[in-house]
Amino acid sequence: MNDNARLVSKVLVLDSNKEYFDRIKSFCDNNNLVGLKALEDNVMVILKSNVDLGAILLSENYRGDVCGGIALAREIRDIRPELPIFLRREHDESLADLPEKEQKMFCAAYTINNISNLKAVFDKSIFSLVYPNVLVRGITEITLSALKSQFKDVEVSTESPPYIVRDRIIYGEVFSLIPLESSWCRGYMMLQTEEDSMLDMVKMEKTHMKVDGANFRHLDHVIGEVTNLIWGSFKNRFISDVEKYDHFNTQVPILVNHKHKYISFGSEDPQLCFKYKLTDTQDSSKSPLIVYQRFIFNLNWSPSDFKEIQASVEELVESGELEMF
Amino acid sequence: MAQILIVDDSSTVRNEVGDFLKSNGLDIVTAVDGRDGLDKLKADSSIKLVVSDVNMPNMDGLTMAEKIRSELGNSTVNIIMLTTESSPIMKERGKAAGIKGWIVKPFSGESVLGTFKKLVGV
Repeated sequence: MNDNARLVSKVLVLDSNKEYFDRIKSFCDNNNLVGLKALEDNVMVILKSNVDLGAILLSENYRGDVCGGIALAREIRDIRPELPIFLRREHDESLADLPEKEQKMFCAAYTINNISNLKAVFDKSIFSLVYPNVLVRGITEITLSALKSQFKDVEVSTESPPYIVRDRIIYGEVFSLIPLESSWCRGYMMLQTEEDSMLDMVKMEKTHMKVDGANFRHLDHVIGEVTNLIWGSFKNRFISDVEKYDHFNTQVPILVNHKHKYISFGSEDPQLCFKYKLTDTQDSSKSPLIVYQRFIFNLNWSPSDFKEIQASVEELVESGELEMF
Repeated sequence: MAQILIVDDSSTVRNEVGDFLKSNGLDIVTAVDGRDGLDKLKADSSIKLVVSDVNMPNMDGLTMAEKIRSELGNSTVNIIMLTTESSPIMKERGKAAGIKGWIVKPFSGESVLGTFKKLVGV
């Protein structure tokens, strides 16, 4: 029985050929990929705003220009070097005839008739890490519960299933980061959201904050407590005392580029991403608050050692209840 | 003059717990970390119950509980931890420091109100 979660990845399809586009879309549908189409004039806008992509499928003759795809790939590499680009060519599924500098821009090449060969490449570059179903489902439950406890009169939902992303762009303006340490995983959880939407929630008294003239500093406590609740529940559910790695202190620098809203954890591995939506139940005209949650196991990922902690009924004390000593 | 000291680095938790207890007729005072908690407890001898988080900057809740007993020599104040942690090792450390109980967040006021009132003697 396969108990790994079924995950998807969003792929931007940049192909001007209508007939081919449909075949590419069909390949995506059959391989856990969500194909997104961009209008030709809109590509860079989308790339600058979309923060949850896994890869790009680009045609060599994009926009009807023989080298249109190569030129666009150069622009994409400048702003999103972390996104693998797959180049569709008319006759040759090799990159060998391209100058070496251009070959390096692409993860692989394909022709429309051999698109099925891409599956193996996608498995290696996007779906290279497997995530246990119990873990993925548990994270969703824990996070929904944490969000519901910290926001009032909102409906909290999640985009399902979660997806794999390769990009490193930070969504919104506010994010929290907390380490996760165990024998089977070492890395970070990150929550990202938009300042204005969250500040609106505070001002409308939909959080536990009570302040006159709420400003950005007040958001620290809201996103901080949500992060803390998820972190604690994650540890309680998935990391037992014997699995804690207090003595393990290897670290790598985390780099943030503010100009590009870019964060790197030093690993090229794809990241596990969840998206949550908080909708005001009292005012449907308000834009929902979006929260992205990412797991970056950049220091260790050994899912074969993962197990959910099974507490006995006697040991189990529900959240919120007082256990007297 | 307060009955309950709430120690948590998160103001959302201080507000949530504090508002609930005040709305049920209890007097509270708050502290932002373990060090602040020790100072507040030292300054107010009427405090009967400390409700504290574990993970806080400057001084964590378990260290604060140990210092309440050792440095302040206060062996009578009741201490309850309100935390996301549920590690048996941490609970054992808490028991050794003489804490009275453990609540795993999120906070559910109704289920603990009766015990809190009993611990402060109302």
